[in-house]
Amino acid sequence: MSHIHIDVENVSFQYEKGKPILDRISFHGAENDSIGIVGANGVGKSTLLKLLVGLHLNYQGSIQVEAIPVQKETLPRIREKIGYVFQDSDSQLFMSTAYEDIAFAPRNYGLPEEEVEKRVVSALEMTGINHLRDKQIYKMSGGEKKLVSIATILSMMPDIIIMDEPSIALDPKNRRNLIRILNSFEHLKIIASHDLDMILDTCKRTIIMAEGRIVCDGPTEEILSNQQLLEDVGLELPLCMQKRS
Amino acid sequence: MSKIGSAIYEIHHMDTIASREQWVNQIHPLVKLVLTIGYIAVTVSFHKYNLVGLIGMLVYPLSMFLLADLSIKDSIKRLRIVLPLVCFVGIWNPFFDHTFVFLGDVCICGGVVSMLTLMIKGLFSVLASYLLIATTSIEKICYALRLLRVPKLVVTQILLTYRYITLLLGEVNQMTQAYALRAPNQKGIHCKAWGSLTGQLLLRSVDRANEVYESMLLRGYQGEFGYLGPQIKMRKKDWLFFLFWSSCIIFVRMVPIVTIIGNFVGGH
Repeated sequence: MSHIHIDVENVSFQYEKGKPILDRISFHGAENDSIGIVGANGVGKSTLLKLLVGLHLNYQGSIQVEAIPVQKETLPRIREKIGYVFQDSDSQLFMSTAYEDIAFAPRNYGLPEEEVEKRVVSALEMTGINHLRDKQIYKMSGGEKKLVSIATILSMMPDIIIMDEPSIALDPKNRRNLIRILNSFEHLKIIASHDLDMILDTCKRTIIMAEGRIVCDGPTEEILSNQQLLEDVGLELPLCMQKRS
Repeated sequence: MSKIGSAIYEIHHMDTIASREQWVNQIHPLVKLVLTIGYIAVTVSFHKYNLVGLIGMLVYPLSMFLLADLSIKDSIKRLRIVLPLVCFVGIWNPFFDHTFVFLGDVCICGGVVSMLTLMIKGLFSVLASYLLIATTSIEKICYALRLLRVPKLVVTQILLTYRYITLLLGEVNQMTQAYALRAPNQKGIHCKAWGSLTGQLLLRSVDRANEVYESMLLRGYQGEFGYLGPQIKMRKKDWLFFLFWSSCIIFVRMVPIVTIIGNFVGGH
């Protein structure tokens, strides 16, 4: 078995007592897996992703990242392996320029400045935003911010990438660029999104969530073409599969 | 643009000015920080009646404005909120200080002189601070503070407060815009809505601050100050800049240069 894997076993979570957000969630992700997590609003997709990186620790069950249990003591080791892209880019970006923000993680991990520079350049190239290198964050459009956010995690060279609604705020060209970037990432990726067409283009496997539970886990093509199943959980067929009326 | 919108613009504009490729902007941040602190300390140290000697201290901000290619007019405009406060500090002196002092051959009430001295001290200090932030990015100022052994907790607070100000103002801007669009005939915000708006603002700000902090944690931040970029080395020109200006400031403090020039021009 490859060293890159995530194992989630019977995980339940609640913010308030008696109001469970996640209910006995179990799934496994291995190297080269691309997992799309879909579901209606408020089913716990973002919460699940946050649990995977230890942003909430008071869960029941077991979460292991590369055989390391997600708990307070292991967080620095786990977070070094995972790149997490927030839904809102303004929460992700806090330095003044794209370069500074992309260099933030490599510098925190104590890499020499030459290596930091190399990684930043590589991340900028992968996301196709070399021209934004020294641009100030506040001057960027929503789409540019999203691409910089993705570059900030690529510079960490993570084993696993987790993205929460990555295609939000992207125009068609940038969305296509995002799909290209995601498909070029070879390790394990987990993407939560309402953009089922993007999930179809980037993920081989899809997990459908409803009311805090996993209701279906299987090949994306199969799941996202099942109209009845999608409608039962408040979703619709991807646009590319819908017939024009 | 709304007042809040223009405040956000001003903050961002300062970032832009500080990141220019000007010669002064490239000077080591520690040099500029130490010079600014030293300049303010020396300015404040002038005696309350030494108005003429104090005017000589204008040489530093004036030269720096020229060297950094900054507009004095724009700076005064930006500092318009602070300057009245600075002026207000000494406004009571004429009422309490009735000593008479000589300015050259003219006898003036000491209270007026000390009021002017205090105002000019404040003005020069504010200008020097403005010059520092207009030529040095916040990250570099924080870097220099760390070199001065200021605790990392304090420096991180300064850096993040600066970053959060724009986020907070952005939230306020959005909320007031949303309010104004649904209350077109109102001027400002009705007092009935103050409570809920303030509460919402607090909650949103806390949420946003939490998300930014989570983002930092996820990228390896552990309270260590390893994120302010590469070590900036002191170069020859940094040393020369420091030596030149520190000598100038000490010289102006020790020698009554304005009086000497005045006597020379006046033929005394």
